[in-house]
Amino acid sequence: MAFERVLTRNVGNRDALTLDGYRKTGGYEALAKALKMEPDAVIEEVKKSGLRGRGGAGFPAGMKWGFIPQKDPNQPRYLVCNADESEPGTFKDRLLMEHDPHQLIEGCAICCWAVRAATCYIYIRGEYTKAAAILERALKDAYEGGILGDGVLGSNFKLDMYVHRGAGAYICGEETGMLESLEGKRGQPRVKPPFPAVVGAFGAPTVINNVETLCNVPHILVRGADWFKSIGTDERNTGPKLYAISGHVERPGTYEHPIGITFREMLEAAGGMWRQGTLKAFIPGGASAPILKASEIDIKMDFDTVAKAGSMLGSAAVIVMDETVCMVRSVARLAKFFNHESCGQCTPCREGTNWMELVLKRLEHGEGREGDAMLLKSVAGNVGGNSLCALGDAAVGPVKSLVERFPEEIDAHVRERRCPFPEYRYF
Amino acid sequence: MPKVTINDRTVEVEAGTNVIEAGVKVGVQIPHYCYHPRLTVVGQCRMCLVEVWQNGKKLPKLQTACSTTAAENMEVRTDTPEVRQAQAGMMEFFLINHPLDCPICDQAGECGLQDYSFKHGVAFSRFQFEDKRTYPGRERIPLGPNVILNMNRCIQCTRCVRFTHEVSKTGELGFFNRGARTEIGTFPGKELDNPLSTCVVDVCPVGALTSTRFRFAERVFYLDKKPSICTGCDVGCNITIEHRRGDIKRYKPRFNPEVNDYWMCDYGRSTFERYKTVPRLRACRMRGQEGEKTGTETMGSWKEALDLVHRRLRLRTDGAVAFLGSGFLTNEEAWLAARLADYAGSPHRGVPVDLGAGWTIPNLQGGITGTELAPNRRGAELFLRPGSGIELEETLGGAGNGKEKPQVLDPDELLLGDGASKCAVLVVLDSDFGRGAYTPEVVERLRRAQFLVVLGWADSPLAKVADVALPVATHAEKDGTFVNAEWRVQRFNAAFPAPGQARSTVEALADLLGRFDAKWAGLTADKVFDRIASEVPAFTGHTWHTLPATGSALHVPGAHTAMSDAAAETLPEVS
Repeated sequence: MAFERVLTRNVGNRDALTLDGYRKTGGYEALAKALKMEPDAVIEEVKKSGLRGRGGAGFPAGMKWGFIPQKDPNQPRYLVCNADESEPGTFKDRLLMEHDPHQLIEGCAICCWAVRAATCYIYIRGEYTKAAAILERALKDAYEGGILGDGVLGSNFKLDMYVHRGAGAYICGEETGMLESLEGKRGQPRVKPPFPAVVGAFGAPTVINNVETLCNVPHILVRGADWFKSIGTDERNTGPKLYAISGHVERPGTYEHPIGITFREMLEAAGGMWRQGTLKAFIPGGASAPILKASEIDIKMDFDTVAKAGSMLGSAAVIVMDETVCMVRSVARLAKFFNHESCGQCTPCREGTNWMELVLKRLEHGEGREGDAMLLKSVAGNVGGNSLCALGDAAVGPVKSLVERFPEEIDAHVRERRCPFPEYRYF
Repeated sequence: MPKVTINDRTVEVEAGTNVIEAGVKVGVQIPHYCYHPRLTVVGQCRMCLVEVWQNGKKLPKLQTACSTTAAENMEVRTDTPEVRQAQAGMMEFFLINHPLDCPICDQAGECGLQDYSFKHGVAFSRFQFEDKRTYPGRERIPLGPNVILNMNRCIQCTRCVRFTHEVSKTGELGFFNRGARTEIGTFPGKELDNPLSTCVVDVCPVGALTSTRFRFAERVFYLDKKPSICTGCDVGCNITIEHRRGDIKRYKPRFNPEVNDYWMCDYGRSTFERYKTVPRLRACRMRGQEGEKTGTETMGSWKEALDLVHRRLRLRTDGAVAFLGSGFLTNEEAWLAARLADYAGSPHRGVPVDLGAGWTIPNLQGGITGTELAPNRRGAELFLRPGSGIELEETLGGAGNGKEKPQVLDPDELLLGDGASKCAVLVVLDSDFGRGAYTPEVVERLRRAQFLVVLGWADSPLAKVADVALPVATHAEKDGTFVNAEWRVQRFNAAFPAPGQARSTVEALADLLGRFDAKWAGLTADKVFDRIASEVPAFTGHTWHTLPATGSALHVPGAHTAMSDAAAETLPEVS
C-alpha cells in the first residue's frame, strides 16, 4: 500500500524550518481556513475526523475540545501542548518539533481558535534543548510574520504562544502534573475531578494535547475529515500515526504508517530483526504498555486492537526484543524507571513501584523464591487502578504481563538461582 | 441537598459535602490519612477508596471518598471485597517501609497506622526478603523548637505541609525528593517556628512528628483525658487535659468550630508547666497573732483560717476593704467574691490582667486574637468592676449622705500606687494573678495592707507574705465557666481532685459567705452559675447543664467598655 507521508512530509526539508519554507509547502493555509470558520465548526470537523489523542490514552481530541466551557467570553482559557515526551522508547514528538516546528505551531493555533484560547504553552521536555531552540526560533518567526500576536493572520484573533521547558521529570508528562509544573509548583498530579477542561492551568479551563495530535489538525482542516477517516482501520482508529521503533531491529527510528498497520509490516519496514535474530517479545506502546509475545506478531497496531490483546498502543513506541533478552531483567529495568519517576505523593505508586523493583531485582540476582510471581501479581493488583494518576497503572503493565505471559522465565530464575541469560551490565 | 446512600444508610447532606463526612453522619467510618476537614483535599493516601455507584451504574475504578462529593442518586459501598482488598493493600504499603518501632514511639496508642492496621490490615508481612527504606540520619531532626521529625515513620500524607501552607500560612515545610525517597522537611534556612507549630504534631496521623514537650513523657494509653479550657489567653481554646494521676502531661486542642477549630497555640500548650514549676500552696497558712505582721507562720484548718478572715472582714475599721480579682477567676468565683464585697460594703474591686502577644487562632470565621494572658478578664470584670457596689455603701449608711464619694481603689492604684496602705483588709483572690504577684515591688506594695488575705494555688511570693494564705484548686481541678474574647461563655469541669487541703475557690468563698448568711453555705459552681443566670441579664436563659459544649455567646454585644456599662446595670439588687 502506497502511503504518502503526512506528518513527516517536511522531515529532511530544511527549508521548512523557516516560515517562508513552511509556507511554500502549503503551511498556514489550514489556519487561514480555520479562521474563516466558526470555532464550533472546527471542533465539529475534528470530531468528525475521529482523531484520537496520540499521547497515550487515545481520547478523542474533538470531544476534549468540546468539553471546554464557552459560556463566559471573558474567562481565560489555555491550550497546553504536551511535548514532555519522556517515556522510554518514545521519540516521535522530537522528530516533529525538530524538523517541522511550524506544523505544530499551526496546529496549536487552530486548536486555540477552536476553543477560544488566547494563550498556548508548549511544555517541552527539559532535555530537548535542540527542539526547544528550534521551536523558539520558529515562534519568533511566527510572531514577526504576523501568525501570532495581536492579530493572527490579519484577523482580530489574539494569540500568544510560549515554550516552557520542563525540569526533567517523567511525571510532568501527566497532564495535571504538567499543569502544576507549569504553574511553578512541584510537579505532581492533581486529584481528578475536576478535570483540566474545567479547572486547569491557573484555575482556568485548559485543553491539553500531545504534539502529534496537534500536528494532525492542520491536515484535517485542509484535506477534510473524510480524507482523514479514509486512513486507518475503522471509524475509531483513523489517520496517520508515527511509530517509534527501537530495540533489536535493523533500522530503529520513527516511521509514519497509517494507523492499524500490522506489527509484522512495521518490522519489515524497519529492516527486520537485528542480525536475523528471532523475535521474542515486543512492547507496542512505550514502557507502560504490557509486553506482547512473538506469537502476536500479526496484531494490528491501532488503539482498539492492541487494547483487546491486553496491552495498549499508548504513545506507539515499539520496543522489539529478540531471543537473547531476559524478560525479568528488562521488566526490572522498567520497574526501576517507574520507581525512580514516581512522584511519591500517593501510597500505592510510591511504595508499590519500589517493592516491585526490589522483588524483580532479587529475582534477577538469583535470590528469587517460590511465590514471587504471585507476590508480584498481587502487589501489581494493589497498585493498578488504585493510584492517583496513571503512572501507577503504567508501572503495573510490564510487571503484570511478565507474570502472565512469561511465567516460565520467572520459574527459571528461581529454579536455577541465577539469571539464565547472558550478562548485561544494567544493574 | 443531595441524598446519598452509604452502605444502605441514606443521609441527606449539604451540597459539597464529601463522602467521608457524609459517612460520619450515618456512622460509617471511612479510613483516611491525608484527608483533614480543614486542609485541601489531595486524595493521595488512597486509604479512603470506596465503591461508588452513580445512577445505578458502578464507576469502573474505586474512588477516593475524600475527593468524591456526595451527589443525588449516589450509592457508596465501603464493605465490598474489592474495597476491603484495596484497604488491606494500602495498609500493607504503609507498613512495608515503616520501622514498626511502636514500643519506643510516642504515637503508639493514638496512631493511625495501629488503628487501621488492626481494623483493615493483614496480620502478616509479605515484605520479608527486602530491605526497608530508611532515611539514615533523619530519625530525629528538630524541625523547630517544638517539633521533632522522624522520617522513617512518615507515611507522606503531607498534612503537616498543607497545615503550614494553609492554616498557619507560614509555609516552612515542604515535600522533597521523589518516589520512595520522598521526604518532609523544612526549606533551607527556615525552621518550623510559628505560634501554631505544634499543631503539625496533632495533624500527623503517625509518629513522624512528635512534640519536643511531650516526647517520651508518658505512654498515651496511660493518660486520663478530660475536656477543659486553656488558660493561656482570652481566646479560650477548648482543650483536653491529659494527665496521669493528677500530673498533667500535655494539653491537646479539642474541636470547637466556634472558637479554636482544631488548633491551639504553642504558648497555650506550655501553660500547664506552670502548675509544676511554681511551688504549690497545699495548706492554710496563718501568720502569728491577729494584727501582727511578723509573727511565725502556722498551718491551720480551713475552719480556723476562714473564721479569722470572717472576723477581720466584720471588724469595721477606718481602712478600706479591697478585693483584687484575677483574670483566672471563673465567673462563679468572681460573682461570689462580689457578694463577699457586698457584705464588706466595699466598692474597691478590680481585675488586673497582663497583656500578651496577641496570637490569632484561626477558625472558620477568620480567627480569634487573644490579647490578654488570662482566660476570663471579661467575665471576672462583669462582677468585679472597680466601683461597682459603691451605691451599696451609701445605702447601708456607712457613709453619710452629704459625704463625698470615697475614692475607689482600682487595680492600678493597688499594684502601682499606694492604695494598699489605705486597706484594713486586702483580699487577693488569686495568688497567681499575673506577673505582679512575682514582682518584689508589687508584693511589697500590696503587703502594706493591714491584713492581707491571699487565695490561690500557687505559693507565689505574694502568698508567702500573706497574713492568711488559702490553698485553692487550679483550673484543672475545679468546675467553672470562662468568658472569652468574643463574650462566649464556656464551661469546664475538674479533671482530677485538688491535692492536700486545696479546695475550689467557689467552695471556699461559699463557706466564708455562709458565715455572713447561712443561705450561701454549700454552694457549688453549677448552682452559682444557675443563680447568676437568674440574676444577671447577660446570662439569662442559660443553665449549667444546658450550656452547649461549644459554649454560648452572651447576650451582650460588642466592646469591652460597652460591656462594662451593661455589666453595671446587671448588678443584682441588694436584698
